[in-house]
Amino acid sequence: MKKDAAETAIDLLQGTLDMLVLKAVSLGPLHGYGVLLRIQQISQNRLEIQQGSLYPALYRLEHEGWIAGEWGQSENKRRARFYKLTAAGRRRLEAETKKWNQFADVVGTILSTRPEEA
Amino acid sequence: MSLRSRMATWWRAVFRANALDRQVSEELAFHIESYAEDLMRGGMAREEAMRRARAELGSAAAVRENARQAWGTRWWDDLRGDLRYAVRMLAQSPAFTAIAIGSLALGIGANTVIFTAAQHMLLDRLNVPHPEQLQLLWWTEPPDGVVESMWGYWDDSANGQTATSFSYPVYQQLRRDNRSLADIFAFKPMGLLTVTTNRQVYEAGSEMVSGNYYSTLGVKPQLGRGIEDSDDGPVGSGPVVVISDKLWTTRFGRSPDVIGRTILVNAIPMTIVGVNPPGFTGAYSAQGEPDLFFPFSMQPVVAPQDFGGADSGSILQDKTMWWVLLMGRVKPGVPAATAEAELNVALHAAVRATMPVKKDSQVPRLALRDGSRGQNPNADGFAKPMSVLMGLAGLVLLLACANLANLLLARGGARQREMSVRLALGAGRRRILRQMMTESLLLALLGGAAGLLLAFVVRNGVPRLLSSAWTPPAFSARLSWPILAFAAAASILTGVIFGLAPAWQATRVQVSSGLKDSGQTVTRRRRGLGGKAIVVFQVALSMLLVVVAGLFVQTLMKLGRAPLGFQSHNLLLFTIEPPGTVYPDTKSTPLLEELEARLAGVPGVQSVSLTQVPLISGNAQNHTFIAEGTQRNPDPSRNPSVLVNQVGHDFFSTFGIPILAGRGFDSGDTATSRKVAVINESTARKFFPNLDPVGRTFETGFHEPETIEIVGVCGDAKYYRVREAPEPTYYEPYWQTDHGIRQATFAVSTRVGGQALLPSLRVAVASVDRNLPVLDVRTQDEQIAENLQQPRIFANITGGFGLLALLLASIGIYGIMAYSVSRRTSEIGIRMALGAQPRRVLRMVLSEASWLVILGVAAGVAGALALGRLIGAMLYGLKAWDPATFAGAGALLMLVALGASWIPARRAAGVDPMKALRHE
Repeated sequence: MKKDAAETAIDLLQGTLDMLVLKAVSLGPLHGYGVLLRIQQISQNRLEIQQGSLYPALYRLEHEGWIAGEWGQSENKRRARFYKLTAAGRRRLEAETKKWNQFADVVGTILSTRPEEA
Repeated sequence: MSLRSRMATWWRAVFRANALDRQVSEELAFHIESYAEDLMRGGMAREEAMRRARAELGSAAAVRENARQAWGTRWWDDLRGDLRYAVRMLAQSPAFTAIAIGSLALGIGANTVIFTAAQHMLLDRLNVPHPEQLQLLWWTEPPDGVVESMWGYWDDSANGQTATSFSYPVYQQLRRDNRSLADIFAFKPMGLLTVTTNRQVYEAGSEMVSGNYYSTLGVKPQLGRGIEDSDDGPVGSGPVVVISDKLWTTRFGRSPDVIGRTILVNAIPMTIVGVNPPGFTGAYSAQGEPDLFFPFSMQPVVAPQDFGGADSGSILQDKTMWWVLLMGRVKPGVPAATAEAELNVALHAAVRATMPVKKDSQVPRLALRDGSRGQNPNADGFAKPMSVLMGLAGLVLLLACANLANLLLARGGARQREMSVRLALGAGRRRILRQMMTESLLLALLGGAAGLLLAFVVRNGVPRLLSSAWTPPAFSARLSWPILAFAAAASILTGVIFGLAPAWQATRVQVSSGLKDSGQTVTRRRRGLGGKAIVVFQVALSMLLVVVAGLFVQTLMKLGRAPLGFQSHNLLLFTIEPPGTVYPDTKSTPLLEELEARLAGVPGVQSVSLTQVPLISGNAQNHTFIAEGTQRNPDPSRNPSVLVNQVGHDFFSTFGIPILAGRGFDSGDTATSRKVAVINESTARKFFPNLDPVGRTFETGFHEPETIEIVGVCGDAKYYRVREAPEPTYYEPYWQTDHGIRQATFAVSTRVGGQALLPSLRVAVASVDRNLPVLDVRTQDEQIAENLQQPRIFANITGGFGLLALLLASIGIYGIMAYSVSRRTSEIGIRMALGAQPRRVLRMVLSEASWLVILGVAAGVAGALALGRLIGAMLYGLKAWDPATFAGAGALLMLVALGASWIPARRAAGVDPMKALRHE
């Protein structure tokens, strides 16, 4: 069942997963699985995230001090590790968002250029 | 900010690895279950849901691995893995590990000990702020210069002399005229003085200092004050003394009310005004620690010196005697060359103002030299011996390293299969190289640590060798940062350099052939060549070290047996220094005569005498000697001179020196009778060839002639060193000298020997004057042993190196032969199956070892001959190319090599051909 390119799940660009995770936890503390669900929900299932790469990303962000992990209780009363954005993470997210917008803007402009008509 | 969180995760990843692993597992389990529940909600069966959840997450191990990479701790994990593996490998072959660590420990330990000693002797700086700014004032003058009398260090060369002593009047003018240095201060080591505190009499080292000494050096006493300008005024104006931390501890129990107390120095009351900081060694040298510092103003009172010069009286006024040392700090912005030129002008002016300068006489030229180590008297005598020792220690380390390389190579060969398996399983060559390097570095570091431990245990060995039986060690070795850095650098370099080749070799195995069990072992392999080259190198180094050891040990033995010309056994020596304050001028003569008489009366004493200069102490004095009938040269320095010693009544019988003609001294020779002397055979031969000297006279005195009658000729006896053949010498009675003698070393000949009589001798001395300390008690044999200190150090250390070298070489030879035999088991098996006799196999292995030794010895001979040029001057009684030593060393090495290869050879001869072949 082949669909139009825009409709299929998009492979993530290198390095964008970090940004998405930061954004996801900026909306409220989430456990790892919750981050996955949140991203899929916001993107309306258009983004395919390799589950195996999610946790290394979480640990990397925690290592950098942008998110902080803490044990808590999940919706179904189980022990889970919740991540929330730190102040440093918020600054990072803002910077990354700005950069991404500029990048998307430039790339968009270039891609939308049409041949000049004579 | 992020640094803190990074440190936190590192900390957890490194030290809480298990907890972290559990956390990750738990998180992943939660993820899987949550996902599976969601899938089940969509209608999937539980089992299928779990399977799918697990599959999508991927392997937990991979996630963990990636996580650790994200934390940046992969290198640590790898290192830990490598280390754990290395430790396991080393523990698996304890013999190999022990030999490798042991040989490295010996090599690094030996180097650390020698390096520590060298650092102290040659590199230690004065313990003052900014020692690098200090400049010591030197001067040089041609042979016919104006300076004729000197008390202090000087160095003679063909174009004149170099010295650091100035006359006090010159110092005063130099200091006044100085514009280029930030002040000039003066000091003078005054040797041992007699001190009385709490009725105890003892000796203490001293330094006399100018009033600006403490302020210019920038030294603040830990208690009280330093010597100040106000103490250094007119003669006798500053009866004050600053004592050392050591004296404060040993004599005053570190009591703070020591300030203001009065002690007797040479029987003169002096007030303690300060205590030096610990470790302050004065300005003269960075070793030792003078106990008393007092101002120059007290010199004529406390330590009167009379050199009988033109300006008799205080040497502070003496314009001809040059004796004070001068030092200054550089001024910021004034280059040393400028300061030197300006001071040189000032010196010339000062010399012309204070001394009569003849028309053709040359005025000394001033030079500024680094004063950060003071005069550093050790450097002069020890620089070359120390560098030779450091070179030899370096060779021992090289030998130990060769051993390590050899062992690692052999092991690398034995581990070929392991490497092939690892390569076949996909390990990268770089990874294997890293693993091998980890192992050799671990070995090297363990060896280094063991070496440091060894060095710490024997650290005071060299200082102890350097000190005599009756004086404290010259310095105590401290293990300092530079030394730790040295040992660490030596071990790391060793590990890297000597581990690299075996590691590199290990990665070059062919996977396919390495995995095959058989093959190639039948024929000799080229690989053995690397190991054999190393063994030849080891043998060469050992040959070199054994030859050097042989030369120095024989030197010491020959020195010990060298005829002295006098009998040295059962002679107890001690020194008495009658303080000039109590016994000025010739007042010391009746004291010494009384002492001679009292000591001779002690039961058990055979005879007693004294000498001004103790025999074989490294010191001597010489006097002008103009034989009867020859003319005195108007230039006093052109007249011939001979050695001289002032001696006691029974000198010749006490020391067993035969009177060959005429007589010794007797009761007819008194202080007022005609001056007499006994000359030795060499003097008679040199100055009175074919004549009978007895009854003739000679003229002595540098400036003012004095005639002495020769009453006897005695046998030649060595005077100041064992190494030097007896020189022309004359002996004169001390009671006939014009100014008395300030120091006398009594020689008491006893039947029992040793120091058994010492208590009664002390009583006898105290009965004459109980304020006279008995100094430097030793036997004449100990005195001689002290004079042989340097050859003994060399014999001991090089002998130790030689033994080490033999040990290391035998380990190397054993290792390579055992390895070679084990590799060739099947070859030997075939030979024996084809009818070779065990004895023939034995001979084959031994002859292989012999060839290695012959090659190594030949190379070692070449090295030893080259080294001989360096050490030739340090030897006694034999040449640096002494054939017997070379032959003996070669034979010894051959013996050791055959012994070391005997076990592998026996093993080879005992190979059972059936077993060896079935092993294929």
